[in-house]
Amino acid sequence: MHSTWASYINEKVSGASAVVNEVEAGDQSITVDPTHLKAVCEALKNGEHEFNVLQVVSGVDYPEEQIIEVNYILASFTKNTELILKVRLPRGDENNLPKVDSVVSVWKAANFQERETYDMLGVEFVGHPDFRRILCPEDWTGFPLRKDYVVQEKYLDMVVNPVHKMNIGEREFGAKHTHIKGASTSVKNYTVEAPATSEDTSLN
Amino acid sequence: MIKMEKTSFDQEKLKTELLTINMGPQHPATHGVLRVEIKTDSEIVAEATPYLGYLHRCMEKHTEHLDYRGVIPFCDRMDYLAAMNAELGWVLTVEKMLGTEVPERAQTLRIMIAELQRIASHLMFFGTYAIDLGAFSPFLYAFQDREFILRLFEELSGARLLYNYIWLGGVWNDINDEQLSRLENWLPELEENIKKYHALVGENKIFIGRTANVSIVSKEMAFDYGATGPVLRGSGVDWDLRKKRPYAGYEKYDFDVIKGEGLKGTLGDCWDRYYVRMMEMHESIKIIKQCLAGIEEGPVMGKVSKIVKPPKGEIYLRTECPRGELGYHLVSDGTKNPYRVKVKSSCFTHTSMLPDMAPGLMIADFVAAIGSIDIVLGEVDR
Repeated sequence: MHSTWASYINEKVSGASAVVNEVEAGDQSITVDPTHLKAVCEALKNGEHEFNVLQVVSGVDYPEEQIIEVNYILASFTKNTELILKVRLPRGDENNLPKVDSVVSVWKAANFQERETYDMLGVEFVGHPDFRRILCPEDWTGFPLRKDYVVQEKYLDMVVNPVHKMNIGEREFGAKHTHIKGASTSVKNYTVEAPATSEDTSLN
Repeated sequence: MIKMEKTSFDQEKLKTELLTINMGPQHPATHGVLRVEIKTDSEIVAEATPYLGYLHRCMEKHTEHLDYRGVIPFCDRMDYLAAMNAELGWVLTVEKMLGTEVPERAQTLRIMIAELQRIASHLMFFGTYAIDLGAFSPFLYAFQDREFILRLFEELSGARLLYNYIWLGGVWNDINDEQLSRLENWLPELEENIKKYHALVGENKIFIGRTANVSIVSKEMAFDYGATGPVLRGSGVDWDLRKKRPYAGYEKYDFDVIKGEGLKGTLGDCWDRYYVRMMEMHESIKIIKQCLAGIEEGPVMGKVSKIVKPPKGEIYLRTECPRGELGYHLVSDGTKNPYRVKVKSSCFTHTSMLPDMAPGLMIADFVAAIGSIDIVLGEVDR
């Protein structure tokens, strides 16, 4: 099924270079070239395979490869099929966010989904009609679902993650946590020393 | 004789402008902490912009630091009115990745529990929707029946709302014969009650006046926004994952898919979405009856290794929850923590429809529109 779709994409959109990703477990997926994403989506929606619904846009961060992958999970409610369409974008930095074309004009469902992906992973969707954060406050800094995200210490003069509100388990977990080599983890703040016992009782 | 002077202002130069009103975040009709900024032209809504995130806990980030079993209670806390269904979706996703076999009795029990939860959730919808439209007593009726289900769940899992009951490989606790017979004896009463409630509210002239022909969602619009569940079926689309892509053993059960027919007004109006949910409860009762007839003796937990490490890869699995399709996109890197979990929430999708549903409605009808898509803000914000 996936190879049919991949050859269909390559036939309709020249330069899309669709490749099927073979996996040992779970679902297969198709990777396409980011610059042709919109044309690919249009072909998939309006063509013979009728992917009429965009289910979700899901970003995944791979700091080791310096790549952010955006998954567009499409479904056809007429042919009862499902497809994970991937684009791989260079990760960039704070001033130079990864960019890809918005597909809001293809499916309106992309509106909120793309805003969430921007909010959580910092991917810029070019041509989005209402592009801003959706779940975090407008003035929040950083993108929480990036693997090297560190919680800001203060937000509007409020301490984020105050020490006395964390339990011992979280602190120990944070100290041991080495999910990604070479990148500071999101639980950096948890490595702070435990307060003295007398202080603990006063705060309770 | 009084001499009338000519009015000093020119009618054509009079300025009118839209009035901005904040609805929420604390508002009884927004079903939680949702803020909708509405621009009104007198009583008519011209524009509505939802602002989300007041209940955002970044569940997806938390999962990066948890093991696969530890995610189950977090799934509960998304859609707290249908926690069992959310658990089931996550557990099935991981099980499919692992290739776990679930014992027969546990499978039957899971479906039974999921359908009971669906009824509880739809009863909650019925009650709160009536409150939205100004009728208080249906809420109390709905809670009587919901209470039976919650008591049963409490006996099974120890909790009334957030259960952590469906585990990898089966369910946590077995059900006993006394509970099964109690449930069996109660089902006819529930069926009668739901019919009564529908006659009381759904066929009520005022209720029909408030919901029929209000906030119509066409089939094309539903597909464009990716709507699922009762919202999609209310627009007349015959789509139910339990039938179309059966999971957890739903293929063994016989039931009908209810869809809107535009009985009281136009196809896809608020009344149709209400109707789909009310009739779905009868279908759920049908499934539960078949479960009760077919439940076999046996273990309720299969063999799952203590440390769960799914192979490297990714998977997307969706299940039919009371509010629509809940999907989990899981990326595994072969360690004991998930690399990435993305939740496809139907409530989030349906909230994105509000700006298109609102224009042209009266403010009170906008409340009816929000109620008819039945959102739970815990799942919208995650």
